[in-house]
Amino acid sequence: MLNIKGEKYKDITAKYIFKKLVSEYSFILSFVLLIIIAGIVNKNFFTWTNLSNIFIQSSMIGLIAMGMSMVISAGEIDISVGSQVALIGGFGILVLNITGSTVIMILFCAVFGFLIGTINGLLITKGGMPSMIATMAMMGAARSIINHFGSGGPFTVSRELFGTFRLLAVGGIPLWGNVKIPYLMIIFIIVAIIFDVIMKQTKLGKHIYAVGSNETSARLSGVNVDLIKILVFAITGLMCGLAAVIYASRMTAVAAASAASGYEMETIAAVAIGGTAMSGGRGKILGTFMGVLMFKMISNILTAADVSTFLNGAISGAIIVIAVLMQNYQNRRKYG
Amino acid sequence: MLVEMKGITKDFGPVRALDNVDFKIDAGEIIGLVGENGAGKTTLMNILAGTYFATKGDVFINEEKVQINNIRVANLLGIRFIRQELNLCNDLQVFENMFLADEIKNKYGLLNKKEMIQQSEMVFKRMNVNIDPESIMRDLQAAEKQLVEIAKALLFKCELIIMDEPTTALSTHEITNLFKIMRLLVKEGVSFIYISHKMPELFDICEKYYVLRDGKLVSQGEFEDIDENDLTEMMIGRYLLDEEFSEHTNSSREEVAISVKNLFGKGFNNITFDVHKGEVLAITGLQGSGRDDIADALFGEVSFSGLLEIDGKQIKPGSNIRKFMKRGIGLVPRMRKERGIHNDLSIYDNINMAYLNTKFKDLLISNKKVHSRYIQSKKALDIRAGNPRNAITSLSGGNQQKVILGKWLETDADVLLFDNPTQGIDVGTKFEIYHLIAKLAKQGKAIIVFSPEFLEIYKVADKCIVLYKGTINVVLDREDITEKNIMYYSTGANLEVENA
Repeated sequence: MLNIKGEKYKDITAKYIFKKLVSEYSFILSFVLLIIIAGIVNKNFFTWTNLSNIFIQSSMIGLIAMGMSMVISAGEIDISVGSQVALIGGFGILVLNITGSTVIMILFCAVFGFLIGTINGLLITKGGMPSMIATMAMMGAARSIINHFGSGGPFTVSRELFGTFRLLAVGGIPLWGNVKIPYLMIIFIIVAIIFDVIMKQTKLGKHIYAVGSNETSARLSGVNVDLIKILVFAITGLMCGLAAVIYASRMTAVAAASAASGYEMETIAAVAIGGTAMSGGRGKILGTFMGVLMFKMISNILTAADVSTFLNGAISGAIIVIAVLMQNYQNRRKYG
Repeated sequence: MLVEMKGITKDFGPVRALDNVDFKIDAGEIIGLVGENGAGKTTLMNILAGTYFATKGDVFINEEKVQINNIRVANLLGIRFIRQELNLCNDLQVFENMFLADEIKNKYGLLNKKEMIQQSEMVFKRMNVNIDPESIMRDLQAAEKQLVEIAKALLFKCELIIMDEPTTALSTHEITNLFKIMRLLVKEGVSFIYISHKMPELFDICEKYYVLRDGKLVSQGEFEDIDENDLTEMMIGRYLLDEEFSEHTNSSREEVAISVKNLFGKGFNNITFDVHKGEVLAITGLQGSGRDDIADALFGEVSFSGLLEIDGKQIKPGSNIRKFMKRGIGLVPRMRKERGIHNDLSIYDNINMAYLNTKFKDLLISNKKVHSRYIQSKKALDIRAGNPRNAITSLSGGNQQKVILGKWLETDADVLLFDNPTQGIDVGTKFEIYHLIAKLAKQGKAIIVFSPEFLEIYKVADKCIVLYKGTINVVLDREDITEKNIMYYSTGANLEVENA
C-alpha cells in the first residue's frame, strides 16, 4: 500500500527495479548472460564486424518477429510467415525484373503482404477459424503457389539489376574508415522503435493487449475485437513483405521450395524468449528485439562449437519449450 | 452415513473464504445450507465434494478421517454434488452424460450402450420424468438438463447428495416432484444438503439449517424453531440489517435519461420503462428470466427491436457497443473475472480502456494524462490500490469493481448499468458499492441495477422491475419492495393463481 494520498508517483526505488527485472524484464538478464557466454566462446565476438553481422543476420527474422509479437500478444498465432516470405519474395523479384524499379518492388511486397495478412485475419475473425488452422492453410497454399510458378526452382534477380539491388543488404552508412553501419541494422532498429511506441503509447497497442488478455472484457469496453485481430495479421503480412525484400536482396534469388522455411519456428522462438506470454496479453517489444538477437547468438555459439546447422529446427523447438515452461513456472508462483 | 467436517478453513490467496467451520450431517437428514451469495456455502460443499482442498480442517465419515482428494474419491465415498452451473457435455447424448467417467463396459472392454440406456430409463421412470436417454443434450430444455443432473446423482449408489440451487430452472410441478423423490430417498437412508435462496422451499423440505455468513458458521438449528424473518436476520446479521433498513433517499429528477419502449429481443419481450436522472431502477428475476439479456441489449451487445432513447434521442437498433458508449451508457458487467477485467493488464490500462474508445483523439497516449484521470477516479471512488502500474489482479474484488466503475466516470457516462455488481465481493465492500450507487444517483446519473439479490435491490432501488420468463411481471414501487413480493412475482406465482 504505497502512496495512497500522493498525486505523483515516486516509488521507482532500487528494490522496485530489481523486482521488475526479475519478474517482467528477465529477458534482459538472459541477454546479458548470453553476451558473456558468446564473448567467452568467440574471441571475435565484440568486434564491430561480428556485432553488425549479428544484426544483419537477424534483421529478417527481426522484422517478422515484431509482427508476430503483436499477433501473439493478441492471443493468436501465425505459422504462415515463412511461406509468405517465399511467395511475396518470388513475385517481388518478378516485379523487380519487369519494372527495374526497387521502389515499386518494395511497395508491391508491402501491399501484397498486407493483403495476405488481411486474408488470414478475415478467415480467423469473420470465418471463425482458429488461427493455427487458418494460417496453416495459408502456409500450405502460399508455398504451393510459389512452387507452381517457379516450378520449384529459384526466382533470380536479373544481371543488370543485381549490383544496385544488392546494395540494400550489403551496403551501409560509412562511419569512419572501413567501419559502416549496415542499412539492415538501421532498418531493424527503427522498425523495433516504431513497434515499441505503437505497443506502449497508442490505442492500437493497448487494444492488442486488451484483446489478448480478455476478449469479452475488451469488447465490453468498446474495442472492435475483429478489427484489431485483422490488423495484427495484416501488419505481420506487411512485415513479411519487407522481410521478403531483404531476403531477395541478400540472396539475390528466392528458391520457391526452400526459401524462408522454418521462419515461423524461429520468429515464434524469438518472441517466446523475449518473454511474451504465449497465451496473449503480456509482452514487450524490447523483449522480442533482444529475443531475436539472442536467437542468432545462440546459433552463432553453437556454430562455433561445431554443432550442425541441420539442428537449427531442434534448437528453435527447444528454445520455445524452455521459454514457455519458464513462463508457466513464473505464473504458477505468481498466481498460486 | 455420518459425515462431519471439523474446523474447515479455506484461503484463496489473501482472501479467507471459510473460517473454522464445523458441519455435521447424519444418515437420512436433509440440511438446508443458507447464507448470502459469497458467504462460502459453495466453497464448503466443494471441499466436501473433492473440488477444493481445505487449507485447514478435516473431514470424517462414520468417525473415520478421510482424504477427499478429488471428485472421484468423493463419488466412491457416496457423495454427489449437483452444481448450480450444470456440468454437462452438450454434444453428447443424455445417457452418455449420465455415465460419463462411470461407463458400463461389456466383457470385451467396449461400451455397453444397451445397459446404460436401460438404467437411465429406469432412473427417469423412478423420478417420474419423461426424457429420452438417447436424445442429444443440446436439445433439452434448461429444466430438463437440471433433471438429468439430478438423475445422474441418483443413478449411482450414493449416500449424500449435495444440491446447489437445484430448483432455479424448475416449475412448481417439477419442484414438487423433486421433493417427492427426495423424501423417498431419505427413507432409504440417503441424506441431502440443500442450498437455496428460496425460503418456502427450505422450510418445506429441510429439517435442520446451517447459516454461513462471511465464511463463518453463525447459527445452526431446526427449521421448526424459526421463521423466515429469523433466518434472514441470521443470514445478514443484525447490525447490517439495521444498516439495510436505514433511510433511503430518492434523488430522482424530472428529466428522463433513458427510455425504453416495446423492446423485443432474444430472451425478452415487450420491455417498456423509463429511468429518470438521479433514479435507481432495479431489474430482477430468476436465472433465465431475461435479466442478463436485457442488460446485454441496453449496452448494445446483442441486437433488439423497439425504441431506445437516451436524453430523448434514439439509438438505432443494431448499433455497436462503441456507439452506445459514446451516447453515455456505461456497463459494469456481470462475472467480473470473465467479462470485466483484463487480468494481464495494469490498473492504469484497465481504467483507461473505455476512455480510449470514446474520447481519446491524440496519436500517442500521455502517461501523465492517464495518471491524472486515474487520480480523479481514485478519489471519487475511494479505490484502495498501491502502484497503479501493477496488474489489476493485485487488488481485492471490490477494488477491481471500483476500477471498472472508474472507466465509466472517465467517459462521463450518464446512464450506468450495473449487472450483478457485487457478485463475489465481501460484505463490507458491497456496502461501499451501494453507497457509491446512491452517490452517483445524487449527482444525477441514471442507474439501472440488474441483480438477483433482494438486499441489494432493497438497499439501492427506487423502483424495481420483476421479470418472469422474459416479460415484465410487475413494477414494484419503493414501498412494495419486499423479499416476499419479489419471490412471489419472480416465480410467476401470481400468474399461476390466475390460471387456476
